[in-house]
Amino acid sequence: MKFVLAAALALVAMNSSNAKSASDESYNTIIAAAKTEGKVVLYAPIDSPAMRPLIEDFNRRYPEVEVEFSDLQTTVLYNRYLSEMAAGVPSADVVWNTPMDLQFKLVQDGYAQEYIVREKDKLPTWASWENKLYAVSLDPAVFVYNKAEISGDTLPQSHAELVRILETNPDPFQGRIVSYDIEKAAGGFMMVVQDLKNFSDFWKIPDLFGKTAAQFPSGSGFMIETVGSGENVFGYNQLGSAASKGAAGNANLGIVYPKDYTVVLARTAFISKAARSPNAAKLLLDYLLSEQAQQIIVDNQIAYALRPEVEGELTLKTLSEKIGADKVRPVKIGPDLLEYLDANKRTEFLQKWQQAVAGTQQ
Amino acid sequence: MKLAAPRTLAGALTLVAIFLPIGLIVYQSLLSGAFFEPRSELGFSAFRFILSDPGFWKALGNSMLMGISMLVIAVPLGSFFAFLLVRTDTPGRKYMEPFMLAPMLTSPVVLAFGYLIAAGPVGFYSIWTRQLIGTVPWNIYSPISIAIIGGLIHVPHVYIYTSTALKNLASDIEEAARISGASPLRVAWDVSLPMIRPALIFSSVLVFLAGVETFGLVLILGNRMDFDTLAVYLYKLTNRLGVPSYQLMAAVAVVMLGLTIPLVTVQRFLLRGENRFASLKGKGARQRPVQLGSFRWVAFAIVCLWAIVTVVVPLSGVTLRAFVTSWGQGVDLISSLTLENFRIVFSEPSMLRAIKNSILIGVIGGALSVACYVVIALVLHRKHDGLSRSVDFSLMLPRALPGVAAGLAFFWAFLFFWPLTEFRTTLFSVWLAYTVVWLPYGVKLVQTALIQVSSELEEAARSVGAKPWQVIFDVSLPLVRFGILSSWVLVFIAFEREYATGVYLLNTGTEVVGAMLVSLADGGSINMVAALSVINITLVCAGMAVALRFGIKLHD
Repeated sequence: MKFVLAAALALVAMNSSNAKSASDESYNTIIAAAKTEGKVVLYAPIDSPAMRPLIEDFNRRYPEVEVEFSDLQTTVLYNRYLSEMAAGVPSADVVWNTPMDLQFKLVQDGYAQEYIVREKDKLPTWASWENKLYAVSLDPAVFVYNKAEISGDTLPQSHAELVRILETNPDPFQGRIVSYDIEKAAGGFMMVVQDLKNFSDFWKIPDLFGKTAAQFPSGSGFMIETVGSGENVFGYNQLGSAASKGAAGNANLGIVYPKDYTVVLARTAFISKAARSPNAAKLLLDYLLSEQAQQIIVDNQIAYALRPEVEGELTLKTLSEKIGADKVRPVKIGPDLLEYLDANKRTEFLQKWQQAVAGTQQ
Repeated sequence: MKLAAPRTLAGALTLVAIFLPIGLIVYQSLLSGAFFEPRSELGFSAFRFILSDPGFWKALGNSMLMGISMLVIAVPLGSFFAFLLVRTDTPGRKYMEPFMLAPMLTSPVVLAFGYLIAAGPVGFYSIWTRQLIGTVPWNIYSPISIAIIGGLIHVPHVYIYTSTALKNLASDIEEAARISGASPLRVAWDVSLPMIRPALIFSSVLVFLAGVETFGLVLILGNRMDFDTLAVYLYKLTNRLGVPSYQLMAAVAVVMLGLTIPLVTVQRFLLRGENRFASLKGKGARQRPVQLGSFRWVAFAIVCLWAIVTVVVPLSGVTLRAFVTSWGQGVDLISSLTLENFRIVFSEPSMLRAIKNSILIGVIGGALSVACYVVIALVLHRKHDGLSRSVDFSLMLPRALPGVAAGLAFFWAFLFFWPLTEFRTTLFSVWLAYTVVWLPYGVKLVQTALIQVSSELEEAARSVGAKPWQVIFDVSLPLVRFGILSSWVLVFIAFEREYATGVYLLNTGTEVVGAMLVSLADGGSINMVAALSVINITLVCAGMAVALRFGIKLHD
């Protein structure tokens, strides 16, 4: 036990010597304070089995800091954090959630505390906001398809091709396209808003969804599941990590990274202003952004890595090699995210979309 | 010793437990934003919003449709099955009883998913059927299918009430009818069923409400036909305006609560003079099964058919999914077999904790809850004062609250109200929430049994000088011990499979399976959902086997 502890401390010391942004001395103060705090509370919408390797690795570095992790559904997470803040009770120290707009809103509303992460110079510039909100992992919006059902000419490789194929050869897709119900799923809403910004023919997509009687089930799991089973054939705007996970267990499930542009969403994290363990929270955020943690995130198919030096399938590097770096479109963290939280603007967009996808259905 | 003070206290506590979360919901529905935000203003804007939304009216219509179809399917079938298995010589009836409860073993969301895998367009039964007859004669996504499935899976809710009542019914009345030349079916129709009218009326109201409240089935199967119920509409509304709009959710929940008032009024009207149904009288009586003759095999076949459609099909779908990596058109299931999903569950401490906590809540918590339900039933027993009226009226309310809203309401109650705040991060919070949500089920079950104890027995005890508490502990309760015991089994099952209520109360150390399934399903880990569900179902079966054995011994 003593040996493990010594090794862990040595590892910490070694890492510290590489760092530039924070001086070793001040970081040692944070570590010492974190040890006194003894625990850090993390909320994130990530399965516990997927999260476990990250927590175990963190504990190898900081055995004195226990990670209390709760896997919460994205909306539950937001509601719960907001309510706990209002009640003034202990809540998450680190809030790591998928809806970028809700996360940004929380930061705007003053729930985050400022912290310059240790290796900030190694992160992409678009990946943080005012030293409060940090992208920790990424997820591209991809197409999934059933290999046994569509291939070759009928397989859209880009948004433009999707429009062309659905216009000229809709039969294989009739009633068998799935995508998010954007009324129910905030993540799905965000993805189509990004499509609107990136694709000039955007409104043709919901029109064609209407004509082909596309389905809008609840939850990415069910969509990927039914495309893999052949009940459906094509999934629009699916999360890349979930698709990769699905494809790993099912040889019939294929993934397309749209070649005209691929939107990349970020799962962002911030340290709560009301954190009971602010120092341990800093260690945890620094750890999640470290190269080693990023590698674990990729290896366990939690998401795509943020850091460019990480190797593997779920990285922007691999994605850039596939479609070209200029086609990768990360969603920038900034006030633009709040655009569609305006109730009127959102309702207007939703109505237009719903009218289009209703199409010839019924 | 007078029991007036404890009775008032118990009644008052019940009302607080019901109206704290519900009061919060009502208050929230009358605000313009979250109730904890100082900027929120009082007003009817949330109601104006939903009432002017065509989607709301459509969902309301669909909810009513679900309520009616469940009533029409579940009540006749459930009471018919109860008669067959309790009062007749249908073959294998002792072994079939556990099957009657099987659809309750897991939440409707998991059942719906099971149907999708087993009998969806590329489900394995569908593929086999297509190979056999060239076509699939059903479509699980049509509103009619959803309504039928909903009705069939709620048969147990009716069965458990009516069978409890039938078990306590002495067979002398039925025998009298038989001797006078009535056929077995006529005996069932004209004698047995009218005698258990209170149980039928209770379960009709419960099943109708369950139908109106339908969530999981429609969430999974309804999207293809754009078929929403109120609970799904409420769930959709969460993100409609971008930021979760609690006032809109609350307004829908208030409408759903409002629907219970006419129902409970009708129920009370139908049950006035409940003493008429007392059959457990001072005279000893024995039960003899009604002889069905050759119809017994027809009866057997009907029960089996129901069990196949309602139990075997969805549960085999879920079980299959837990053991394979992929399924569907052109997939060789044998080569897809895997134990990996179970390996992951059993090597994940939080999931093991969830399983352990769920058992704890189901067994120990269930027993404590039943104790509470018995107390509440006694508060209501043979009293017609203001207290019993108000408790009786409010009992059904928690059932009308959709899980999504109930979860949030209980979370807020534990967050903002002392002394509840002290328990928020303990399992007690989950237990209390479950106890309140299942209040109508549990209390009605105990009541169904209590109603049948003729007051002459209690009066006899009193006249020989028994004190009120002696009447309760030495006469009333021992007479309904079977009802209390099966109530425990029911509550255990209900708690094990409870889905949404605990999501907000999930903490490290207080995980429960239901809340974990919500997060896992949302994160897309369908394989984990299936594996965890199968483990949960197995555990409930084991618990039920133990309980039934125990129960049968007590019954004999």
